[in-house]
Amino acid sequence: MEHVDHILIVDDDREIRELVGNYLKKNGLRTTVVADGRQMRSFLESTPVDLIVLDIMMPGDDGLLLCRELRTGKHKTTPVLMLTARSDETDRIIGLEMGADDYLVKPFAARELLARINAVLRRTRMLPPNLIVSEAGRLLAFGKWKLDTTARHLLDAQGTVVTLSGAEYRLLRTFLDHPQRVLSRDQLLNLTQGRDADPFDRSIDLLVSRLRQRLADDARDPAYIKTVRNEGYVFTYAVEILGDSR
Amino acid sequence: MKLSFGWPRTLASRLSLIFLISLVLAHGLSFGLQFYERYQSAMTLMLGNLERDLSNAVAVLERLPADERQAWLPRFESANCRYILGAGETGAPMNMSNAPMSVHSMQRSLGRDYALTFTDIPDTRLHYQAHLTLKDGSPLTIDMHPRVTPLSPWLPLLLIGQLVLLFVCTWLAVRTAIRPLTRLSHAVDNLDPNGEGIRLDEGGPTEVAFAAVAFNTMQQRISTYVKERMQLLAAISHDLQTPITRMKLRAEFMDDGVEKDKLWSDLSEMQHLVQEGVAYARSMDTSSETARRVDMDSFLDSLVFDYQDVGRDVQLNGKTGAVIDTRPHALRRVLVNLTDNALKFAGAAEIHVQTHADQSLSLHVLDRGPGIAEGELSEVIKPFYRVESSRNRDTGGTGLGLAIAQQLTIALGGTLTLTNREGGGLCAQLKLPARIATGAVKITDI
Repeated sequence: MEHVDHILIVDDDREIRELVGNYLKKNGLRTTVVADGRQMRSFLESTPVDLIVLDIMMPGDDGLLLCRELRTGKHKTTPVLMLTARSDETDRIIGLEMGADDYLVKPFAARELLARINAVLRRTRMLPPNLIVSEAGRLLAFGKWKLDTTARHLLDAQGTVVTLSGAEYRLLRTFLDHPQRVLSRDQLLNLTQGRDADPFDRSIDLLVSRLRQRLADDARDPAYIKTVRNEGYVFTYAVEILGDSR
Repeated sequence: MKLSFGWPRTLASRLSLIFLISLVLAHGLSFGLQFYERYQSAMTLMLGNLERDLSNAVAVLERLPADERQAWLPRFESANCRYILGAGETGAPMNMSNAPMSVHSMQRSLGRDYALTFTDIPDTRLHYQAHLTLKDGSPLTIDMHPRVTPLSPWLPLLLIGQLVLLFVCTWLAVRTAIRPLTRLSHAVDNLDPNGEGIRLDEGGPTEVAFAAVAFNTMQQRISTYVKERMQLLAAISHDLQTPITRMKLRAEFMDDGVEKDKLWSDLSEMQHLVQEGVAYARSMDTSSETARRVDMDSFLDSLVFDYQDVGRDVQLNGKTGAVIDTRPHALRRVLVNLTDNALKFAGAAEIHVQTHADQSLSLHVLDRGPGIAEGELSEVIKPFYRVESSRNRDTGGTGLGLAIAQQLTIALGGTLTLTNREGGGLCAQLKLPARIATGAVKITDI
């Protein structure tokens, strides 16, 4: 029998969770809806799920708290997708810091949620990350650079912010999640395309050269991202998870 | 009151001038009066002494034998007069209508008994001789150098000292009076309705303290009012998100058709408005993000790439190599709003960056769209204001994009100016203050 992905939806608004549940069901997923953290815990006791959709704003234990709890417990590998009502950076940053795999801003379209769920599932299945960035470390250090995974920018040795475009960040993050491992162009394309599903006009090669430029990496003799002929690219440095810099 | 003759502009100099002129005048008058009075009494004293001395001397000379007179002469001498046995020097006879006071004194003491004749002796100051004949027929000349005891040399010094004291005290007094006013106007100038402006020190003299308290209260009230308004906007916008989410989800269960599409676009519009409302309410709050050292070139590059990656026509011109202290999310939001605007009306945007000699930074977001009528340029940055062409077009918009950009720019300490370009199109100029970070900063500092 074919595996059907089981999605657990945690939202305090009855209508929203049922509408979401029905939509996902209609699109071939198995869904369970619960109203709060208590119900979520008791359900997870008996049934493992493939992905959890978690609302941030809930009475009682809020989504951030629950996400942190999941990340430290036995469900730490279960992907989490956060729903947030705030469109600004703060919630996104906090959500990702707590270990969420992705987030979606309310009000959202159900089909977008479906696309995100599928992207997260694909991403975590295709290449489980070597590196799990938890709240313990939101800074990844490599060479003379640090990557702030919540603010999504690079810091040089002087602490100057070097901004990355969305695509650049996703590519670098993919490299850092799988350091010292050859990644094919197809893999890179799939992994970096995950969210937003940009129409990826630019090839991975162009993106790599842009990223090298950001890292002040010499294109002819790159130190960070080396080209592996006929195979793809490899990130050469070891990556270290640092504690909070703040 | 209109005074055109070089009346100084500042209240401080006007007050100083009034105080100084009146004090110097009053002081000068009393000094002059005292001086005159003292001169008068010294004069009377001197003339009285002179009269007594003259009559005594002449009486003694009369009694002395002619050959002993010469030996006695030095004893009668004083600072003012000298006695000479003989006819004395020749000189022009004195014009009696204009005779000095001492001549009248001489007339009073000797005139009854002797016939006096006066001759002027040419000299640097008043000098004359009186001639008379003693009872035994021998001539006597009285050589006069009348003068009043001179002014003490320290008196002018005292006067200068007093004037200096006057200057200093005037300056102090005026400064004390003006300073609270200066501070108040400075505070009003820096009044920030969104956050904590300068709180005035509520100490000092009663009137000043009262004004300071009144100002602080007013500032507090404005700030509370603005905050409440913003919280209201944020709360309404926020609470609308749940029903909009439900509606959107429900709409997706509807059968495909025109009605569904229309409902969907209405909901999207509402959602956009709600999000912009929250963003606008938040743009007042400057505390949510801390300033960081940001590499400007990579910042702009990544912004432009993000647009290009989704197929939008946004170009970047210029490189600065600058590292500035700023709040990157706020700055990005400003640029995104300006760029979105340009894309909406012109389909393409160009970002131009340059540094100035004073190290300030100019960012221009340029388009070749329809521009904005001159009269509306200052209106469009007001919240919920939409230009006529924008209302009629399908472009819609919330009328908040530019207002958010403006608020955030102010919060960043910069200025946002909109101008129409030559040859058509709009130029949004974002000027950031000279806060180019220099030197290395420890990671722990940021």
